[in-house]
Amino acid sequence: MMDENSNPVYTDQRYGQSRELLYSYEKDGNYEKTVGFHNEADRITIQQAWDHFNERIAIAREKVLAGKASPIVYFMEKNLVDTLTLSMLAGISLWRVKWHFKPGVFKRLKEKTLQKYADAFNITIEELKKVE
Amino acid sequence: MEPKKTIINYTHRQAGHCESGTTSNLLNFYGHKLSEPMAFGIGNGLFFSYIPFLQVQFAPMITFRNFPNVVFHRSAKYLGIDATVVKKIKDPKEAMDALDRNLEKGIPTGMQVGVFNLTFFPPEYRMYYNMHNLVCYGKEGNLYHISDTVLEDTQVISYDDLLRVRYAKGAFAPNGKMYWINSVPKELDIRAGVISGIKKTVYEMIKIPFPLVGVRGLRWMARDLKKWPRKHGYDKAAFYLGQIIRMNEDVGTGGAGFRFIYGAFLKEAGELFNHAELLETSEMMGKTSNQWREFSYLGARNCKSRSKPVEDYNMLGDMLLKIASMEESVYKKLDKIKI
Repeated sequence: MMDENSNPVYTDQRYGQSRELLYSYEKDGNYEKTVGFHNEADRITIQQAWDHFNERIAIAREKVLAGKASPIVYFMEKNLVDTLTLSMLAGISLWRVKWHFKPGVFKRLKEKTLQKYADAFNITIEELKKVE
Repeated sequence: MEPKKTIINYTHRQAGHCESGTTSNLLNFYGHKLSEPMAFGIGNGLFFSYIPFLQVQFAPMITFRNFPNVVFHRSAKYLGIDATVVKKIKDPKEAMDALDRNLEKGIPTGMQVGVFNLTFFPPEYRMYYNMHNLVCYGKEGNLYHISDTVLEDTQVISYDDLLRVRYAKGAFAPNGKMYWINSVPKELDIRAGVISGIKKTVYEMIKIPFPLVGVRGLRWMARDLKKWPRKHGYDKAAFYLGQIIRMNEDVGTGGAGFRFIYGAFLKEAGELFNHAELLETSEMMGKTSNQWREFSYLGARNCKSRSKPVEDYNMLGDMLLKIASMEESVYKKLDKIKI
């Protein structure tokens, strides 16, 4: 079931480089430990998850560039968090976070609030303001 | 001036599951040879819970493991080890100072961290997941030496990065949680530990009167799985099915949602006490785990071509129901065994 090739399914070259300890149950009734790459099923589902995330990021990016949403939406998707987790990360209440998704509201935000978002995303305020 | 250097002579061994591996490595440091499956079984890491109304990574929350820090805490309790667990430290700087003080004293210290910002972690697994465990065993200037049991080799991480992952936010936030062993008795009472560990696992898997945990939760999920394509469409159903398999086979499970590790524990305990019935249950568990493997293999084909299902969802649901009854028979048998 395990093959030695590290990267048959992943689209990103960085993925699938680490080997880990895996247990298996053999026909003779013994449990075997092997160090190897993950099996096919795991690779497919991991790639599926990242496809899903990347799709969401692309949609958010389009929206921001079209001026329909604030950059917070893009960085939220890029950090793979949902609205609730973002409110926990930034320490800002949920309805205020949703309010800040409007581009007009975002332009009027105070430095202090922007700093909270920047800290949550681990970037600077300048990076937060522009999306490429 | 040369940077201050304190490195404890700590043996890093790779393990399947982060927390039981950490527990086993820490006990090894204090001179007791306790394997990873034993730590996992005694600390009862095995669990199942399905919570459809909570979304994690845009899909229902499914977990095959127990809550964070249960393995270390319970195995310390059942084996009579004097261990300290600091659940929450409010000030991040104080948390790092506490770690420094421990390293000065020569105590390797375990910590709960979030993986999203963990710099040395494989990039494909860097999602928001706050229940990872690692051990810090040395400091060199600004760098901390880390033994992460999921990875083959030891790692280094800078002060700022470590602080960030220790104070990752979100669900199950670590809040700077740290734990270490103070002293270990000369002889560990493995038998008592195994008895309490099995008893607790059996309780959590079949006796909790709540429909979403244990074997009941597994059955609930199997019934839901059959409904997903009609309810959400094939695209979303495939993503949800993918979530089950991700949680089942993902990093740090040792394969098949910890069932292999648990089977290995039953086998080791059976051989240690020369107990025929335990060996029998280990065999049953092994067969169940192979069924889990089969399930994820078949399910993954659905995830690959998401608009048109290759395998029927009804068939997959029936397969899960079969796995549930297989697991139930294992726990029922374990319940009756006298060790």
